[in-house]
Amino acid sequence: MNLRRPIIVAGLLLWSLLPLIWQLQTSFRTPDALVGGSLTSGWTLENYRTVLQGSPSFWRYMVNSALVGTATTGLTLSLAVPAAYGLRQQAATLKRGLLLLLVAAAVFPYVLLFLALLELARQLGWGNQLLALAIPYSGLSLPLAVLLLQAGIADLPNEIEDAARLEGLNLWQRLHRIVLPLLAPTLSSTAILVFLFSWNEYPIALTWISRSELLTLPTAMARIAGSSIYAVPYGAFAAATVLGSLPLLLLVLLFQRAIVSGLTQGAVKG
Amino acid sequence: MSSGGLQLENISRRLGARSLLHEISLEVPAGECLALLGPSGCGKTTTLRVVAGLDPVSSGRIWLQGRDITRLDPGRRQVGMVFQSYALYPHLSVEGNLELGLEIRRVTAAERHRRISTILELLQLVELRHRRPAQLSGGQRQRVALARALLRQPDIVLLDEPMSNLDAQLRDNLRPELRRLLCGGRHPVLYVTHDQQEAMGIADRIAVMSNGFIQQLGTARDLYDQPVNRFVAEFLGRPAINLLLPQQGHQLGLRPEHIRSVNTGGLEAKLTGREWLGNQQLLNLETKRGQLKMLTSADWTPPTELRVSWDQGRELWFEEQSGERLK
Repeated sequence: MNLRRPIIVAGLLLWSLLPLIWQLQTSFRTPDALVGGSLTSGWTLENYRTVLQGSPSFWRYMVNSALVGTATTGLTLSLAVPAAYGLRQQAATLKRGLLLLLVAAAVFPYVLLFLALLELARQLGWGNQLLALAIPYSGLSLPLAVLLLQAGIADLPNEIEDAARLEGLNLWQRLHRIVLPLLAPTLSSTAILVFLFSWNEYPIALTWISRSELLTLPTAMARIAGSSIYAVPYGAFAAATVLGSLPLLLLVLLFQRAIVSGLTQGAVKG
Repeated sequence: MSSGGLQLENISRRLGARSLLHEISLEVPAGECLALLGPSGCGKTTTLRVVAGLDPVSSGRIWLQGRDITRLDPGRRQVGMVFQSYALYPHLSVEGNLELGLEIRRVTAAERHRRISTILELLQLVELRHRRPAQLSGGQRQRVALARALLRQPDIVLLDEPMSNLDAQLRDNLRPELRRLLCGGRHPVLYVTHDQQEAMGIADRIAVMSNGFIQQLGTARDLYDQPVNRFVAEFLGRPAINLLLPQQGHQLGLRPEHIRSVNTGGLEAKLTGREWLGNQQLLNLETKRGQLKMLTSADWTPPTELRVSWDQGRELWFEEQSGERLK
């Protein structure tokens, strides 16, 4: 009885962490060691050296991705917060319709859009403009962001805002001094999700950006394979993946507590 | 219009086809505390929100200290309000909760500090000033909400069921305290409650509301002894008034404490149950004119068959259909 729970937990942990551990160890092995070497030999940092000393350096891609991610998150939140806040003031029937529309938009497979987006980018001259990526990324993230934020806002008691109105706080002051501080957990979990989308996005980045110094991480990683189809550089791939996931890991650890309370918002009565 | 206090002039509020408030008119002079009493959905909270400016009116006028505030923004009405949930800002300390409104109004730091210290002192909140609302008990939260409402030296104080989240004993202790803090000042007070004991304990006058109408407005004594209709008679008084079976379109109402047992004459009654209330007991009686509840002293052992009577002056007669009282 007492042993069952730890065993289940350990099993689940193994199930979810094993691929990551495999990836991590792959990044430290020589190509020969990967196919039937022993655990005691064949360890190396060569893969990381290859990735970091490429031209341009892997750091460059990280910075590119971070820039696009930050711009996307900022743009998305600055549009989604007012939208979510405005949604609360709408009549129930209109609100239900708008929410349905948002859900539909959030689950729409965006890959269907990327040709049209590419055409748009060409017309507007947004090809090879790093920060221009933030515009389609924000557009695609907005539905989900608005949905999450409006759920958080709906959880705030109306009377708190009424009290603030009576105290003479105008719309902006209420948003800034009352709503946003109370919304911090929802804001940070939404921000992470948006950032994550931008960090991982592939088709749009692939089609919009061709200059190698402007690539984002996913497209840059794909290029590592470009050397030869006969020798797949598994080690270098793994090293790039590990490096690429470190910043995200750091972000999530940093905001861990806020994210958890944001995701469970409304699940239990405060 | 006279200058002081609050006047409501034929206030109506409609939402679509529904009428939430119907031609409400009342006047509360400065220093008076008026309770709005009624069952839930009667319009008492709507009246409060209309005065605060949180809900708009469909027609009518609101005057506060001689100003027409009917269309004025809530933030400019000089209204202090205590909400049912207290509505404290959860992310701010007690001091922060008090300071925010003053800061928005550009009160200088020195003046803010002076006013906050005074009010913390008055409401015995000095030791709690750095705590967050989540770290306070219900009674303490209520005091903070009250402090926030009084801090701005409002032209009127509005309270929406401020005791409903507190336990019964605390409520009993707080009633005189609230009265001391609120009433008799330079502002009028509107107090919403569904608890008649609270209304009687705190307010100078009571307005009984139902379905968006004011049924009757007067002192607690007036309402209890001279109700204008059956609704008011039934709503006030615990145990509730006895309503006898109607005769020729008229219905007699009798308060349980006005019924006594007699040796001869009166009405034949059969005892069907007793409730012991500690200092008194409540008898359930069956008579040919309907069921009666009768309040008697606790140490009397009633027989199973008895005769009951009452003073004619205590009779309250109502029209059966409309419920209006017959004078």
